[in-house]
Amino acid sequence: MDTGKCWDFKDDEQPPYPVIEVTLSSADRKVTISPKVDTGFNGSVAISRETVRRLHLTPKGTVLVRTATGHRETPIYAVNLSQQDLAVTYTTLAIGTERSLVGRRFLENKTWLLDCKEGRFCIVTRTGASEA
Amino acid sequence: MIRPFVEALRTFKWEPFRSIDLVEKLGYATGYARNFLSQATRQGLLIAESRKGKREKTFRANPSVVKEIVLKGGKEKEELLEALGLHSRYTGEYVALRGFKVVDHDPDLYRLGERALSDTEAQDQLVITNVGVPRKIVTIEI
Repeated sequence: MDTGKCWDFKDDEQPPYPVIEVTLSSADRKVTISPKVDTGFNGSVAISRETVRRLHLTPKGTVLVRTATGHRETPIYAVNLSQQDLAVTYTTLAIGTERSLVGRRFLENKTWLLDCKEGRFCIVTRTGASEA
Repeated sequence: MIRPFVEALRTFKWEPFRSIDLVEKLGYATGYARNFLSQATRQGLLIAESRKGKREKTFRANPSVVKEIVLKGGKEKEELLEALGLHSRYTGEYVALRGFKVVDHDPDLYRLGERALSDTEAQDQLVITNVGVPRKIVTIEI
């Protein structure tokens, strides 16, 4: 297995935490953000109010979500999500939250390296030999 | 205002009704019924229609308020979904609504989103929400 693209942990909180760069777009806006990788989030992507504002998004609905402190109703938004190093682009529902996150649904079916010693989060690519 | 609106919706669904129907079927006093109809029409909750040759107006629930109420969320949303009869059919699921009509539903929010968002026509009127506590609830541990 080889290590592909890596992103350095963000250190604006301690201990530092993994992030991944994604590009989100709406009908007429595009932003590139580095959301926290949150394996406690079972969805695809969650976006902060600031990202909602920058993309000029309007809610597509409201859904009940479970948080650490109980249940809460939150807006959902339609966004186009792309990650060029993974070669993925798709339209999905983003959950409106306090901070931007990517969750397990985004991470699933791919291999990742969470390198807390070097402080980096990387895509792992399988070599031909290891696949065989 | 929302309570009598939801009661009218529960009773008449999206069929037209008259002031007298509120009196006879919901037990409202005549003055209260007229007052409600006047206010609800002004607020856009109801659409007033005049029938040809008839002096009395009919009213029906305005489908565009569904999106408005769902986006506000909370108790009013729950009451609306219950009045539309969705709790008995879709509890634990997510639904995509266009006006009063359920156009799609799924226990998985993302599967529903994928289908609903692929239809680019009439996206503006579409609204997605949960009915009751979703079986596949989105969990954010923060």
